[in-house]
Amino acid sequence: MARILVVDDALDLAEMLGIVLTSHGFDVEIVNRGDEALEAFRSNPPDLVLLDVMLPGIDGIEVCTQIRKESMVPIVMLSAKGESIDIVRGLEAGADDYIQKPFRDELELIARIRTRLRRTNSDITGLLTIGDLTIDVTAHEVIRGSQKITLTRLEFDLLVALAKDPGRVFTRDALLSEVWGYRHSTDTRLVNVHVQRLRSKIEHDPEHPEIVMTVRGVGYKAGGTA
Amino acid sequence: MRSFRSIFQRSLSAKVVLSTVILSLGVVWLAGSALDSRLSDGIRSTNLNSSLAEARLAFFNAQFKLLMAQSLTVEERKEILAGIVVDATTQGIKEQRREVIIVKTPTSKKSSLSYEMASNGALSESIPENVRKKILKSSELEYTYGTLIYGNGDKEDSLFVGNRIDIPGAGRYEMYVVFSLAQQASTITLIQNSLLVTGFALIILIALITWIVVRQVVRPVREAALIAKQFTQGEFDLRLPITSKDELATLAHSFNDMAASIEQQISRLENLSRVQQRFVSDVTHELRTPLTTLRMASEVIYNHRASFEAPVARSSELLVAQLDRFERLLEDLLEVSRFDAEVAVLEPVNFDLLPLIKRCVADLGVDSDEKTSDISIKSDNSVVYLTADMRRVERIMRNLLSNALDHCDGSQIEITVATTESEIAVAVRDHGSGLDEASLIRVFDRFWRADPSRARVRGGTGLGLSIALEDARLHNGELDAWGRPGKGANFVLTLPRIAGDAIQSRPLKPVPDDFHEDNFYQ
Repeated sequence: MARILVVDDALDLAEMLGIVLTSHGFDVEIVNRGDEALEAFRSNPPDLVLLDVMLPGIDGIEVCTQIRKESMVPIVMLSAKGESIDIVRGLEAGADDYIQKPFRDELELIARIRTRLRRTNSDITGLLTIGDLTIDVTAHEVIRGSQKITLTRLEFDLLVALAKDPGRVFTRDALLSEVWGYRHSTDTRLVNVHVQRLRSKIEHDPEHPEIVMTVRGVGYKAGGTA
Repeated sequence: MRSFRSIFQRSLSAKVVLSTVILSLGVVWLAGSALDSRLSDGIRSTNLNSSLAEARLAFFNAQFKLLMAQSLTVEERKEILAGIVVDATTQGIKEQRREVIIVKTPTSKKSSLSYEMASNGALSESIPENVRKKILKSSELEYTYGTLIYGNGDKEDSLFVGNRIDIPGAGRYEMYVVFSLAQQASTITLIQNSLLVTGFALIILIALITWIVVRQVVRPVREAALIAKQFTQGEFDLRLPITSKDELATLAHSFNDMAASIEQQISRLENLSRVQQRFVSDVTHELRTPLTTLRMASEVIYNHRASFEAPVARSSELLVAQLDRFERLLEDLLEVSRFDAEVAVLEPVNFDLLPLIKRCVADLGVDSDEKTSDISIKSDNSVVYLTADMRRVERIMRNLLSNALDHCDGSQIEITVATTESEIAVAVRDHGSGLDEASLIRVFDRFWRADPSRARVRGGTGLGLSIALEDARLHNGELDAWGRPGKGANFVLTLPRIAGDAIQSRPLKPVPDDFHEDNFYQ
C-alpha cells in the first residue's frame, strides 16, 4: 500500500483529503506545518508527497526544495488556482506536478497520484543510448561514462519517453499525456520547466542542448544516438 | 507656399524672426532715406558754397587783371584773358574739374572783335538760358545747375556760376566758371551704397540676434513640451530642470507641481489597484480551501447516494450541482474583479482556432442533453492560426456557445469563421427568440437577463458575455451583438491575428447574411 504524506495547513481539507485517499486504498499521513512536514518525511519516508504551497512554519516551496535535496520522491503541489507564479516556483523547486484547488473532481486527483506512483514505460526494458548517455531502464539509472546521474522519477520518465524514439518530435501535449497522464491540458509550463531541469542535469551545456532539443513551434525531440 | 505657411505656423522662432525682419526693414529704410537726404543736401550745399567762393575769387581776379590791361593791345588782352581762363581752370581743389567760358553778352553792341573763349572745347551754347537772363539784369554773381556739352559730344552734369565782366574796348562779356558735379555725385553714390550695405548688414544682424533671443525662450519651451509629451506617455517621474528665476522657471515650477500631483494620484490609484489585487488573491485562497473541502465531502456523500433514502440522495445531487455552480460563479466574479482592477494579463500563444472551437462544441454539446441543437461549423480556411491567449479565447467561445444554446430554443446554431490577412472573426448565430434593441444595449451587462422569468437552463452565472467582452478587448479585439425579436441573435468576435494589434477590417459583419432589414419590416 502506497504511503502518501499530505501537507496542508487547512485542517478540514487535509482531513477530507485523508478520507478520500484512504477510501482509494492509500496509507495517509497528515501534517499541517511546513517544519513538521520535513520531520515526518525524514522519520517515515512516503511514496509521494502532496504539498500545499502556503504553509505556516516553512513555506511549501522551501519544503519542496529541502525534500528534493534528500530524495527523488514524487512531489505534487497543491495550489489555489490563479497563483500561477507559485506554480512555476514550485515546479522550479523540484515539484513533479501540481493540482489546483478546488479540484475539478476527486478522480482527477487520484488519477494524478496514481500516474506519479506508477512505473511508467514498464513495457521498455534493457538499455537505451542517447548522445553519450546510457539509460538502464530496468535499473532506473542514467550513466555517462562511469558517472551515474541522479534524476527524479519524473525526469527519468521524461528522458525515457524521448529517448525510446530518438528523432521523433513530441509535442508538449503529447508529453503531458505520456509522462504526466493528462488527457488534455493547456498548461505547457509543466513540460517547459521539467525540460529545463532535465537539461541542467544531463546536458554538457544546458544553453546549447544536444540531447533534449527544442523543435521551435512544435515541441521537443531527443538528439541522435551518435 | 503651403510648406512655408506651415513652417510659419508651426515654428514660433520663424514667426518672430520674420516679423522682426519685416519691421526692422521698415525702420532701417526710413532711417536710411532720412540720413541719405540729409547727407546729400549737406554735401551739395558745402560744394555749392565752396564753388561760389572759388568762382567769386576767379571773377575778381579776372576783373582786376582786365582793369590793369586797359592800355594794352588786343593781342596782349587776349593773352591775358587766356591766362585768366587757365588760372581759373587750374586753381582751387584739384579733384574738382572745372571749365571756364567767356561769352559776349547778347545785348552788347556788335563788333568784329571777339574775345569769346572756352577751356577744353566746352560749348558756350550749353550754358542754360535762365542763368544768362539773370546775369543780364544783375550785377551779382548768379548760378544754376545744368549739363555742360563739349565739342566732342561729351556731357557732364555741372554747376554753372556766371558773372558779367567788362573787357576794356570790347564791351560787356559774361564769364562762367563751370564746376563738374561728377565728384559730388560719386560721393553721394558712395554714401548711398554705404547706407544700403549698412542697412542690410543691420537687418541680418537683427535677424540673427532675434533668432538667438527667441531660441533662448523657445528652447526651454520646446524642452518643456518634450518632457510633457514623455510624461503623457507614462514617464511620470520626469521633471523640468529649473535653472533660472524667470517666467520660464515659473512655468517649470507649475509644470513640476502638476506632474507631482499627477504622479501622486497615479501612485494612489496604483496602490488602490494593488490593494484590490491583494484582496482578490486573498479571497481566492480563503474561499478555495473550504470550497475544495466542501466539494470533496459532497462527492463522498454523492458517491454513497445509492445507500440513502430518496430525499437524502436527491439532496446530495443538488448539493453537488449547486457547489459546481457556486464554484463557477466564484471563478467568474474573481475574473471580473481582475478586469476591474486592470490586472488581467494576456498570455498569448500561437494556435489553430478550429480544433479549439470543435472541442468547445463537443464539450457543450454533451452538456446540453435536454435540448438537442444542431451546431454547424463553417470556415473559409482549414487552419486558422492566431496568436492569442488560448484560455481566454476558449472561454469566449464557451460563453458565446452556451449563450446561444440557452436561447436557441432547439434551433440550429451556426458558427462561421472568416479571416483576413490580419484579422480573424467568429460568428455564433442562433435562430431563437432573438433580442430587441433595448436588450442589445444591455446584453453585455453583468447579471443582465434577456427574460428574467426565463429559467437558467444551463446554470450560467450571468457574467459570461460580460467576461467574453472583456476578454476580447484585452486582445484589442471586438465583440459585437446583433439581434431581432423572433429572428435570433448573432454574436461576432473579431480578433487581431496577433493579440494587441489594431483591427483594420472586420471579416464578418454583426448583421447576418440571411437577414434583410427590408423583409423584416414588411
